[in-house]
Amino acid sequence: MVNPVLLIVVPLGLAFLVPLFGLISKKTGKYFPILALLFNLLLTIKIFPQVLSEPIHVNIGGFTPPFCINLVAGPLGILLAFLIALVGLLVAIYALSYIKEKNEEKYHILYLLLLTGATGVVLTGDVFNLFVFFEILCISSYALVGYFGDKAGVESAIKYLIQGALGSGFILIGIGLLYGQFGTLNMADIASNIHSVEPISIFVPLVLMITGFGVEAAIFPLNAWLPDAHSSAPSSISAILSGIAIEVGLYAVVRIVFTVFGASSIMMFLLFLGVLTLLTGELSAFNQENIKRMLAYSSIGQIGLIVFALSIANMNGITGGLFQLISHTLGKALLFLAVGYMIVHTGSMNISSFEGMGKKMPYTSFFFTIGALSLVGLPPFIGFPSKFMIVKAAIFKQEILYTVLIILVLTATVVEAAYFFKVIQAIYFKGEAKKEKRNRAPFKVLIPLFIFAGLILIVGIYPKLITNILESSAAELISRTDYIKSLIP
Amino acid sequence: MRKLLGIILLAVIAAGIALSLEEIPFGISKTIIGDYFNKNGVEETGATNMVTSVVVSYRGFDTLGEITVLFTAAIGLGALLTGHKKREHSDKVEPSSLIVYTGCRFLFPVLMLVGTYIFIHGHLTPGGGFQGGAIVASGFLLMYLGCKGKRIKFKASTVIEVLGGLIFVGLGIAGLTMGEDFLFNFLPKGEAGELFSAGIIPIIYIGIGLKVGSELAGIIDNLIEEST
Amino acid sequence: MSFAEFLNNYMYYIGAFGLIFIGLFILLTKKNLVKVIIGLSIMDTGIYLFLIAIGYVHEGTAPIFSKPGLNAEGMVDPVPQALVLTAIVIGVAILALALTLAVKLYKHYGTLNLRKIKEQKW
Repeated sequence: MVNPVLLIVVPLGLAFLVPLFGLISKKTGKYFPILALLFNLLLTIKIFPQVLSEPIHVNIGGFTPPFCINLVAGPLGILLAFLIALVGLLVAIYALSYIKEKNEEKYHILYLLLLTGATGVVLTGDVFNLFVFFEILCISSYALVGYFGDKAGVESAIKYLIQGALGSGFILIGIGLLYGQFGTLNMADIASNIHSVEPISIFVPLVLMITGFGVEAAIFPLNAWLPDAHSSAPSSISAILSGIAIEVGLYAVVRIVFTVFGASSIMMFLLFLGVLTLLTGELSAFNQENIKRMLAYSSIGQIGLIVFALSIANMNGITGGLFQLISHTLGKALLFLAVGYMIVHTGSMNISSFEGMGKKMPYTSFFFTIGALSLVGLPPFIGFPSKFMIVKAAIFKQEILYTVLIILVLTATVVEAAYFFKVIQAIYFKGEAKKEKRNRAPFKVLIPLFIFAGLILIVGIYPKLITNILESSAAELISRTDYIKSLIP
Repeated sequence: MRKLLGIILLAVIAAGIALSLEEIPFGISKTIIGDYFNKNGVEETGATNMVTSVVVSYRGFDTLGEITVLFTAAIGLGALLTGHKKREHSDKVEPSSLIVYTGCRFLFPVLMLVGTYIFIHGHLTPGGGFQGGAIVASGFLLMYLGCKGKRIKFKASTVIEVLGGLIFVGLGIAGLTMGEDFLFNFLPKGEAGELFSAGIIPIIYIGIGLKVGSELAGIIDNLIEEST
Repeated sequence: MSFAEFLNNYMYYIGAFGLIFIGLFILLTKKNLVKVIIGLSIMDTGIYLFLIAIGYVHEGTAPIFSKPGLNAEGMVDPVPQALVLTAIVIGVAILALALTLAVKLYKHYGTLNLRKIKEQKW
């Protein structure tokens, strides 16, 4: 039996080694993330069949929980770790040719540490350990947003940093209040004692922690940093931020709300927040001229949809939410990677400068179109079964409230289709038909795009490939008593 | 207007927190894990400083995350500050006087010694890797401020930093290869109160002290280079 | 209870949260970037004080067994101290990164006034 702690320790060790190799030669740094993420990918595939039946618990230090830190590798954790490794590997291959700065080994160290932090967040079973790995994720993303050092990047980075640090402060106050009341930091231990105090005294830590993690998860009033940060970062980092960082932040919120607090009363509030986030995201995306800003607002909208699905809190809803999470990660990463080279070609981020791109960069535009259609939710792509599952879950509830909200969700989907078609129209149906050979995306870069598009198509046609994995993950979230019993018999 | 909104928001948060603080009376600790650590810490880990045994042994994974955070910040700083030297500034800096120069050179080894003492004895007296590392870095800061023109060697500090990190991760993985869990304390625990006791704890703290000291010195080096 | 008793019982919490709220207020209302970063640092200090105050036991002493045979009952809780050690290092890392970004921002814009650094439009 392989130990899931290697998923975190091996990338960490390799990241520590990179400066040493950098002293010898500057060119070796860029292969380390690929090695580490390949190892993670193979390890998660190997562990997968085991965790579907029963989660693996790892105690660190040889003591027994709650007196030590423990990792809980359940179906949801390993699924997200697999997604992080897959997307990270493909974007790392893309970044081999995209990042050509002078001190590029620092980019790769920060990139590997970001993904290590993300893997640590999804695997841990201890509240303070969650905070520490979440901080690794956040701090590497602050540094990576401002990596190019230009005016827009540094401004977005400082605004992101201040809001993120404020959120981290709130999380710490929440952890302090939890420790003061329960005397332990283990998630299962807190979860088993949570109903022994009055609801009013755990309401404040719950709200503080949702606010703190919600800054990174981009829930409605807290996402002012997102459009700036995702549009000014290098395109490979925008793909990772939109595809992994906000999803991992959302995982932290969900873990706290569902497993630790078991708060069913706050679901209604999260439902409305989700729909509000969805509407503000999609409507703001409609007016944008800058393509990356438009994609960033689209990310806000999709996160709102995922929050809405997860707050429906029945089996279908959570499965649909997780499916939408995977669909958004794959689709948005594909879009940002394709847009990256289109921007290198034209030198500007405006949609109007992409006219005629269909002839100048045919493969890249084709992959962009696949990503866009998948996000809108059209049939042979992965966006369709996920959105269908969410609509089905809301209709199952058979209450007027959910029907109204579903109508709002479908309206937002129509708006989304409108602005994506605007871009596709500019790419294919406008501009002169000149075939230019310069500055096209090199072949090495097309490989990750092709794999993303292939996955989107395959899972879209056969969703049954992953639905049973998603159902066991959803079961892990809903039945918190099973989670507690597996640790504390 | 903005200040008024700020005060109202803070008042709401304060009321909420005051409600929640009633459950946590001051002076009575409801801790379950703290009592266990105090009672059994000396036998299980061999260190007499309970805070050290919590930081390195019971919650060692958090400490691994913490040195990763510091490493990330140091690399991020290095990536953002590329050290473009502006040539016209180099003659505006006036050299320090003889007393300051000699005093700094005299105090530097003393500070190194105090810092090293603190992180080697982390398991016996208050202190540890981070505190000792910070004092070592402040020794370097003194040299940068007092004696202009002396700089740390980039290669040496990188090698020490990487070595410190690898000691920690390596000891953890060594625990794994022996069939136990990650970060298992596999060296003999010795007698509590001696310098060579508590298994892998002093070795980890030496690694952390070296890493933190050289990392903070590197951060100071980057920032001072940017300004001259 | 009388005012003196109330102060005696809750002094540390009032002090810690006072610092947190001062820091929050600076963060929300000030215009200069360096002042905002200082406010962040003050808020962090308040949070550390709050965390340590949670672990206090009446008439307790430091959790170090310097002489053999010390009673484990009269010692304060070592866990919040470990949490604060980690949190201080994380706070230092964020502060270092924030100040670096402030240095680069000044080079680009020539001012540290947050109301003027607004090139990203809606």
